Amino acid sequence: MTRSPNRFASKVKIPALLAALAMVATACGGSGGATTGPGTTAVGSTAAPGDRSLNVAIVGNPQMEDIASLTPDLFTAETGIAVEYTVLVEQTLREIVTRDVGVGGEQFDVVMIGMFEAPQFGANGWLVNLTPYAEADTAYNFADLIPTVRDGLSFEGGMYAAPFYAESSFVMFRQDVLDAAGLEMPAAPTWDEVAEIARAVDSDEMAGICLRGKPGWGDLGAAFTTVANTFGATWWLANPDGSIGAAQIDQPEFAEALNFYVDLLNDAGENDAANASFNECLGLYLDGKVAMWYDATVAAGLLEASDSAVKGLNGYALAPTKVTDTSGWLWAWALAIPQNAPDPDTAWEYISWATSADYIAAAGEALPGGWAAVPPGTRQSTYDNPNYQEAAAAFASKTYDAMLAAPVNNPGTTPRPGLPGVQFVGVPEFQDVGTRCTQEFSAAIAGSQSVDDALVACQAIASEVST
Amino acid sequence: MTAATAGISRDTERTRRREGWLRRLPLLPALLFTILVTQLPFLFNIYFSLTKWKVVPPQPRTFNGIGNYTALFGNQFFREAVVTSAVMTISAVVLSVLLGMGLALLLDRQFLGRGFLRTLLITPFLIMPVVAALIWKTQILHSVYGVLNWVLARLGAEPIEFVSRLPLWSVVAVLVWEWSPFMMLIILAGLSGQSTDSLEAARVDGASSTTIFFRITLPQLRPFLELGALLGSIYLIQVFDEIQVLTGGGPGSTNVPYFVYQRSIGGGWDFGQAAAYSNVVVVAAIVLATLGLRTLSGLLPKEGSE
Amino acid sequence: MSDVRMVGQRRWTAVLLTMAAWLVGLTFFFPVLWMLLNGFKTEADANTSPKLVFAPTLEQYRTVTTQTEGLLGFQEAFLNSLVIVGTSTLLVLALAIPASYALSIRPVQKWRDVLFFFISTKFLPIVAGILPLWIIARNLGLLNTRTVLIILYTAVNLPIAIWMLRSFFAEVPRALVEAAQIDGANLRQQIVNVMLPIVAPGVAATALLVVIFAWNEFFLAVQLNPAAGSTIPIWVTSNVSTRGQFLAKLSAASTLATLPVVIAGWVAQKRMIRGLAMGAVK
Repeated sequence: MTRSPNRFASKVKIPALLAALAMVATACGGSGGATTGPGTTAVGSTAAPGDRSLNVAIVGNPQMEDIASLTPDLFTAETGIAVEYTVLVEQTLREIVTRDVGVGGEQFDVVMIGMFEAPQFGANGWLVNLTPYAEADTAYNFADLIPTVRDGLSFEGGMYAAPFYAESSFVMFRQDVLDAAGLEMPAAPTWDEVAEIARAVDSDEMAGICLRGKPGWGDLGAAFTTVANTFGATWWLANPDGSIGAAQIDQPEFAEALNFYVDLLNDAGENDAANASFNECLGLYLDGKVAMWYDATVAAGLLEASDSAVKGLNGYALAPTKVTDTSGWLWAWALAIPQNAPDPDTAWEYISWATSADYIAAAGEALPGGWAAVPPGTRQSTYDNPNYQEAAAAFASKTYDAMLAAPVNNPGTTPRPGLPGVQFVGVPEFQDVGTRCTQEFSAAIAGSQSVDDALVACQAIASEVST
Repeated sequence: MTAATAGISRDTERTRRREGWLRRLPLLPALLFTILVTQLPFLFNIYFSLTKWKVVPPQPRTFNGIGNYTALFGNQFFREAVVTSAVMTISAVVLSVLLGMGLALLLDRQFLGRGFLRTLLITPFLIMPVVAALIWKTQILHSVYGVLNWVLARLGAEPIEFVSRLPLWSVVAVLVWEWSPFMMLIILAGLSGQSTDSLEAARVDGASSTTIFFRITLPQLRPFLELGALLGSIYLIQVFDEIQVLTGGGPGSTNVPYFVYQRSIGGGWDFGQAAAYSNVVVVAAIVLATLGLRTLSGLLPKEGSE
Repeated sequence: MSDVRMVGQRRWTAVLLTMAAWLVGLTFFFPVLWMLLNGFKTEADANTSPKLVFAPTLEQYRTVTTQTEGLLGFQEAFLNSLVIVGTSTLLVLALAIPASYALSIRPVQKWRDVLFFFISTKFLPIVAGILPLWIIARNLGLLNTRTVLIILYTAVNLPIAIWMLRSFFAEVPRALVEAAQIDGANLRQQIVNVMLPIVAPGVAATALLVVIFAWNEFFLAVQLNPAAGSTIPIWVTSNVSTRGQFLAKLSAASTLATLPVVIAGWVAQKRMIRGLAMGAVK
């Protein structure tokens, strides 16, 4: 058979090439550790006694990646508990964790959830109440947690997730650009003042302000909801029993807020605003294409990083207000234990380390980024620490003020469902309604539809879930 | 005599039945495997669609009959998703077939570096859809940093916000880029199967290139075009990753799979409703495919290969 | 009318066509080229105005291939992908080859309906099928194992393989098969000794397509195997972040992830064309 040798050769060639590639990949593997974790064992099934291990699901932000790289030396070496991290994109993480804790998956011992889920999952009885653990653990220093952050993660007095990382929002601006234009930003500005400054410094080369416009309840939804709150608007009224009442998109305050937002973007906003979220605005700001930026406080760390092109040129002001006193948002990524986890005590051992002041201190020493790169916003002691104050001098106190001021339980002027929650409504329906409504708003920002049409569409969407 | 014939016909009957089973035997492993793995989830899906099952906030799963289905047809967003699906799939298939044909025609000649160029042209099909969409979104279509707008700026035109203003066509552009290589390969195969004799004869007779193309080449290519269109449609109807990365859904670019995703794990967490929508999709696809395969004569030939 | 002039014109057209082919081809390849280049840029360079000239660095490749204990690394993901994709492709071929025989050479009575059934299994959107699949996998204890993906990838790619292989088999001259049958060859001998050598290019083509689809599959992999048995696509997307720039890192990771398939595609594409010409369509 003349064909056979060729066929055999071709069938061998490809696997051989792949094997060669695998060897090259092995050679390329850099420093960091000996072997990787178990590839195919399911959770907790074959661990020998004394050989404890945990499966932790996290999101892929820089602070999380840092702790993953420090865990072998700082935690596993001390306690003998091996930690297997699974890094997922935020959207995927939410899908998988919600299904895991809600439908019963037992894939993870510890899950990272946001401030949106923590009170709801706690209320559903899906998570272990961490307050008893925290209070019993004196070394944990429960009282050190920043109060608003702890409240945002609690339900009926019990904290259901321990904060690893927290942020509020504020205005970041190029002090040099404002100085050159002879303008001054107040420490606690109003939205009208911010808009005026933005329009004044706006030019073809450098947009006045960067605001989020990308559809999504956590993208445009977060930024815009804080604006709506401080304009006196709200998404829904609350029924006496706390359930979702009538949708309030058709109210004049909401229209005023949305018109303000869209107009500001049209007049002084960045290009392609309908596609911009944190990363896009970060890129533009670092590149000198925008003069101001309203977004998460954690951005300051990136703007003042040693390799930042705008290091040292920035000023920071509290989140702008209109009729309320404060308006900054509050978000935290926190570690929680699913109710059916096989070993909550070991899980708590990990969580108490990861969210402790000790970890923060150790990270400040060990990380390449130094003290400026430690997880921010969770503990008072971080902000009292002279090392941190020095490394983060430009933004530490402003961040701290923003976090304390976040109106977690009273973000607007009207009673509403889904508290605590500033930049979101803490009801599960908000994921869907918020995403679909912000898609309508985003289309208005892009100019594909009018603000009025967007409001009408959103009112219909939001009314679907009113009770 | 009757007994003999009866005996013979009984034997023939048994032989025929045995023959039938022998023919089925090689098919059975694949068939049983597929039935087991794919039909079980499908049955579950039908069951879920008859229940009211919202996971967040948690509610007990209750039987609901056809409640989900009646709600479905009144849903304007579902109707929009159907239209978007149709436009997206048809334009992506047609455009990628056309582009694939163009590429195949250009490559169907001998020239220096032809094999290398062919390899380069397959690579769009080999990249993860998520990554391909991200590259297009941030490097090609981006209104500030994108290459297309950089070219437009050199030509003196205003930058276009592709993804914000033209969400559907941005998605279609990425899909066409990814799937043209697939079509190109199929069509190249068809072109290389052409008999050079008839081509030469036609040229000697003085026929122009265009005439040759339309009268000889195209009819020969037709079965290949149909195969490409069919296989491409099967995959392009289910497009999901590109939409999630490029536009995150939204009016104008949400197709039916993305709509179903939004109803279930994408934020709606209403598994009953999502199941109902997806069952409707399956039924519609079966109807369309039946119609399509009857008209596309090349693929399931009536005369068979008995 | 001079033959010389006609030949000269032909040569001129030939040159133009070749130039056009290269121009179109390179333009089409441009986004891939951009991804390649990005992998060698710093994040600052990658996230700003397009630059063809820049100071290259290997820092992204170093970052993505660093092995951190407890995090999914390139090697682990690559090994998982290799085993899962390799096994499921072999399974697909093992199931599809006899099945295609039964749908072409000695077809069963309802072969058209069977073919239709196979393709109809691809009509259910995977985002809808994921919940029942997840529940079944969980109850069988198959979450986070390689087995579950092997089974599912086989099921997902089997219909396409059967459709393609069936047409290749239909090209085999009847005389050859009949001669083998008269010689007393059983089914296995018929397939292996007579038919496979002829349809080998077609088999390679089908196998390559199956490998490509399975290698890049992300949704099932991330929903069912996030904690263990994770594949290359999961490793690639673990580089995405919502609080920080990542495009250069992602480009480097994606280049590494695509290399195996590119190599496989390059080796097999000549065969693929020959295979398809032999009769993917009849």
